[in-house]
Amino acid sequence: MTASVTLSGINHHFGPFHALKDIALEIAAGEYITLLGPSGCGKTTLLSILGGFVEPTEGRVQIGGQDMTRVPPAKRPTTTMFQDYALFPHMTVADNVTFGMRMAGAPKAARTAKARDMLALVGLADAAGKRPHALSGGQRQRVALARALAVAPDVLLLDEPLGALDLKLRRAMQDELKAIQRQVGTTFVHVTHDQEEAMAIADRIVVMQAGRIEDVGPPARIYRDPATLFTADFMGEMNHIPAMVVNGVAQTALGHLPGGDHLNGPATLCLRPESIAITGSLALGRATVRDAAFFGAHIRAHLVPDGAPDLTLVAHFPPETDLSPGTQIDIATQPGALRLFAGDLA
Amino acid sequence: MTRYLAPLYLVIAFAFIYLPVVTLVLFSFQGSTLPVPPFDGPSLRWYREVLGDDDTTEALVNSLVVAIGSSAVAVTLGFLAAYGLARHVLPGSAFMRGLLIAPLTVSYLIVGLGLLIVITRTGAGLSLVTAGIGHVVINLPLAFAILYASMGAQQEQAERAARDLGANEFQVLMLVTAPMLAPAIAAAFFLSVTLSWDEFIIAFLLTRFDVTLPVEIWSMLRSGLSPRLNAIGSVVFLASVAAVLILELFVLRRRQ
Repeated sequence: MTASVTLSGINHHFGPFHALKDIALEIAAGEYITLLGPSGCGKTTLLSILGGFVEPTEGRVQIGGQDMTRVPPAKRPTTTMFQDYALFPHMTVADNVTFGMRMAGAPKAARTAKARDMLALVGLADAAGKRPHALSGGQRQRVALARALAVAPDVLLLDEPLGALDLKLRRAMQDELKAIQRQVGTTFVHVTHDQEEAMAIADRIVVMQAGRIEDVGPPARIYRDPATLFTADFMGEMNHIPAMVVNGVAQTALGHLPGGDHLNGPATLCLRPESIAITGSLALGRATVRDAAFFGAHIRAHLVPDGAPDLTLVAHFPPETDLSPGTQIDIATQPGALRLFAGDLA
Repeated sequence: MTRYLAPLYLVIAFAFIYLPVVTLVLFSFQGSTLPVPPFDGPSLRWYREVLGDDDTTEALVNSLVVAIGSSAVAVTLGFLAAYGLARHVLPGSAFMRGLLIAPLTVSYLIVGLGLLIVITRTGAGLSLVTAGIGHVVINLPLAFAILYASMGAQQEQAERAARDLGANEFQVLMLVTAPMLAPAIAAAFFLSVTLSWDEFIIAFLLTRFDVTLPVEIWSMLRSGLSPRLNAIGSVVFLASVAAVLILELFVLRRRQ
């Protein structure tokens, strides 16, 4: 079961606080969407509006083409997987999983069969008779997923579902969530503040900030060609270089760089750490290595450009590079790696 | 020196607390007709007499009925009030909480007198029901306070999940909230039962022909001391201990 979601003109106020501003978003049936942003950006509020727990001050929510704006959670074709799982501690795992079917009046035999299928789907076939407190965090997570999927929702809403898990388990669960989503075909809307998680699982990422949507697109596009300075900064590490654009040339402390013709005046030049290299077609001058740390797949170094002693650049170099502190190196990049945004990052 | 003082202090403290009860229980086994030393038992004579006496056993049953009935009502009302005030933003909810808990500070004598005046005015006769109403009045604030304090964010999330999965409000209450709060509900219930079980003033003012055990004991006291009273007291004490033990063993222990 799957359905498309259309949000149009959503505004929401909590008292005087304007939590969501003119949100418009189209989600295709069967898509895996992540809502990504820092705490307080409105992503959880938006999810609550999708789930029916919060009624928006203005705007419309359509699921599968039907207006759901004022439909309560129980009557929506959505289920939510809550941040702390919200399992029922007094019921067995199987009873938790089939709670939704029981509410719908399904007979006992059908529920038992469904519990077996759903628990097999999430890899917990032997846990049916256990209580939630006897399970580990990752297992509870799976039970919550099985419970939410057991009612065959059109749209599954996940509220920071992996936030309580340790890093290794989180990476494993990301893969699993994605695999399960492909298998069931349900539309998933997943809230997170972890940009790596968003990139790992999403078909499309919705970047949010201060109640607005900053950018929407596939992970690679959002990372390589962010629409706004905020997105550029939020999606992974980014170097900011103050620039002044005059007649298509960005004047910076690292030299004159191609500035494009879409803006003029003060700007911020953005450059990913992995785009800085020893050789490249666009020279950035000489720099001194302040320190360098070995990260396995790369060496992460702080560089102080000779042309701008109060600027520090972060750069990733191949692991075999020899970079002792104090070494002077030439740095360069590719023209396509530069991104220019008007103004400063506040 | 302190090695001996600490245990000595402990012994004295416990003796101070338990000596009256031990004496009461001991002299309920007295052989002769006065519950004073020397002890000439043990004898089950007074227990036989008490349990053979219709007035006493009737009062004992009345007490049980009033205690269980009034506690069930108090806990139900307290639970609903706590749920409403914990889960919904209502105008003046802090004031309402205060108003619900306030009767705890009013003396039982005042509560009893107030109810007596109201009930006499309405023309309804005094009975076990009116005593039960009195006990609901004094136990409701306690049940409300216990249950309100135990309604946390964990149940709230589970309630949201249940609603999301299609449960209506009644199903949420019966299948999620109440079972998750079972320890607190049981604690409130058993506490109410023990308080109602040996409550005297309100029961004395609000009953007439059918009386509860404390009122029966009081009327027996007027004809002087007798080991029979010790025997009744021991039975009452045993019932209270049993309630506390049930609470401890089956409810509070399971929480850990």
